[in-house]
Amino acid sequence: MKKKVRILWLGLMTCNGNTHSFLNYPHLEQFFNDFEFIYHPIIDSEYSLEDIISQDIACDVLLIEGAIADDFIKADVLGIDIIKKYSKIVSKIVTVGTCATFGGIFKESHYKNVSGLHFREDKRTEKYNHLFEKTISISGCPIHPETLVSTLYAIKKGLSLKLDSYLRPKDYFAYTVHNGCTRNEYFEYKVDNHHFGELEGCMFYDHGCQGPLTHGSCNKILWNEINSKTRAGLPCMGCTEPSFPKQNLFSTKKNMGIPEFLPVGVNKRVYLTLAGITKAFKIDRLQKKLLDD
Amino acid sequence: MIKLIEKIEGEAKLNFHFKNNKIDNVDVDFMSTRHIEDILKGKSPLDALVINPRVCGICGHAHLIATVRALEDCYESIEISNKAKIIRELTLNFELIQNHFKWFYLTIFPLFGFKQNVMKAVIPSQLMGKAIALFGGQYPHTSYAIVGGVVCEITQMDLIKLGHYIDETIQFFEKNLLDVDVQMLQDCDNVMNVLSKSGDLVDVLHLIEKNGWLEYGKSYDRFIVFGESSYFTKGKSIKTRVMHNLFLEDVIESVSTTSFAKSVHYHGKYYEVGPLSRAMVKKTPLIKDAHKKYTDSIFTRILARVCEISQLLLHCKSLITELDLSEPSYIKPKMDITSLNSSGSSAVEAARGTLIHKVVIEDSLIKSYEIITPTQWNLCGGVNENHGVSQKAMIGLENIEIAELVFKSFDVCSVCTTH
Ligand code: SF4
Ligand code: SF4
Repeated sequence: MKKKVRILWLGLMTCNGNTHSFLNYPHLEQFFNDFEFIYHPIIDSEYSLEDIISQDIACDVLLIEGAIADDFIKADVLGIDIIKKYSKIVSKIVTVGTCATFGGIFKESHYKNVSGLHFREDKRTEKYNHLFEKTISISGCPIHPETLVSTLYAIKKGLSLKLDSYLRPKDYFAYTVHNGCTRNEYFEYKVDNHHFGELEGCMFYDHGCQGPLTHGSCNKILWNEINSKTRAGLPCMGCTEPSFPKQNLFSTKKNMGIPEFLPVGVNKRVYLTLAGITKAFKIDRLQKKLLDD
Repeated sequence: MIKLIEKIEGEAKLNFHFKNNKIDNVDVDFMSTRHIEDILKGKSPLDALVINPRVCGICGHAHLIATVRALEDCYESIEISNKAKIIRELTLNFELIQNHFKWFYLTIFPLFGFKQNVMKAVIPSQLMGKAIALFGGQYPHTSYAIVGGVVCEITQMDLIKLGHYIDETIQFFEKNLLDVDVQMLQDCDNVMNVLSKSGDLVDVLHLIEKNGWLEYGKSYDRFIVFGESSYFTKGKSIKTRVMHNLFLEDVIESVSTTSFAKSVHYHGKYYEVGPLSRAMVKKTPLIKDAHKKYTDSIFTRILARVCEISQLLLHCKSLITELDLSEPSYIKPKMDITSLNSSGSSAVEAARGTLIHKVVIEDSLIKSYEIITPTQWNLCGGVNENHGVSQKAMIGLENIEIAELVFKSFDVCSVCTTH
């Protein structure tokens, strides 16, 4: 029998959203031919959490889900003690989700020093510096299942992945969420009359869409294989980014009519020049409803 | 004797006290909390639509719907199209269905000596995830229901695809859980007819009989449902007597000294919430019959949860026929929510039972937010004389393994409870 890669899935300060998102991976049977969980929050495993805590179990990859805090207790022990023990045993660590990577929603809870493993928002935390080389970050609230599973396969195959400065695989995080959104034309030609509940319109101008400033594959590899937030008509909340969650998520912050946050790599001058040109034209097709005559 | 119960969306610690070889008392302890209610304070009201689904990875959608309704309740009046109401109901039902499949195949099935069947849990739940994503863009953690309606527009083509997801899930149910035409199951009022069929559900029910467990898991036989929809009815049932006038103000949440979970009661009494409660209040024929024979035992509780799958699938099919696609998905509220100084509350039936949200908005921000989750109703309990629902159901049992089964028959969710 071929040797399976052994994974410890450790849930700390989490909603389990990544756990459930992972279950949406369309080829799970295939996955289980190649990987086994020594512990998982809901899938049965050879060892119990108590075993994991009381013994040193052989393991290849440590997955951390949820924010990390100095004083967060898991089954009567400090969560960070479990991390400390298994980070020595494994050859790779993957932070699963925005909480485990940047602190996410729960960085605002009342625990001590809440953060992701290496980052609190976009600042390095230093504490686990010795693990930096070992770590890959999969951010997202929740993670996209394919992003996680393919990264695990890359680890299995020993591929060298190109990572961004937050340790995220560029294969997924070099794209912006804006890339591939069905509302792109409205963005390009600056049609800024979006209304919720419609197929038409881009949410960048008024409704807070962070697609152009968010790194992620949402519109490249669709969710649940069929859709994405922005395609459905919900602004991107920037859930893969260190700053998640920002405030006033359903509206675009503007200074003198110009969005405060511009697309990644686009400076204000470029933006204004392009906006000026496109605004000079009116494209009738984009003013009409898509399905009308 | 202390036992750590694992894989219930987190963990809980049960401390069993025995007297004459029988469980005399159980303390249920959830060991952490994540302070979501505090995180919400001072945020813009609409941001709650993004934060609250993150209370829970398996029932986050119910938290979204509860949030949007609580926010809308802050208005004196607000117009929501029928279409948006139906869409919200559909996606909430889909979440309940995926939950029940996961609970049965991941949690309950293995407790009866079968190997956990991950694929049988995920195949139908992935279909239901797609059905939600069709409207919401993704599952889990969409925020597609916003004050005034839903953000999505759907077409007839979407409905064709949706029909396939539902029909495939129905086929899966019939092929795996219970080999009865779901339509016939809907009308069935004799549990013996179910026991004469085959399927994974039937195997489990037979084992309950064969092992002599029919008496296990009985509690107060008191049920409550606050969330109303085109399918669920609000009301309480006490030993089959059903009353429909309930008041949200009379739900009291109190802090426990031993656990991070707060306990919840109505007029000083603990009630069970969840699929069994919904079936009792709605008087679903099959569940009424099972209840007549086995009252609120694990048999009835498990049957009620699994049969809710087929009932909801059929109900969704009929809801879809009521959709009028020419209606707007979203109607912009006349006033911006940040201009209100107001409070609102909502009750929604989540997978595990009644979920309540209460919000206070002041000076355009959230002043306070309170969340009461279904697991709090079922699991939190008092001390000694005043036992909680699940405590009562475990008292008198002789062994801890059975107690764990009884405990898990309530479909415990640790993350929700420790929001
Ligand atoms: S809605 Fe968002 S992701 Fe889509 S085109 Fe507009 S800015 Fe880009
Ligand atoms: S669209 Fe934006 S908010 Fe939604 S999952 Fe993708 S990155 Fe997160």
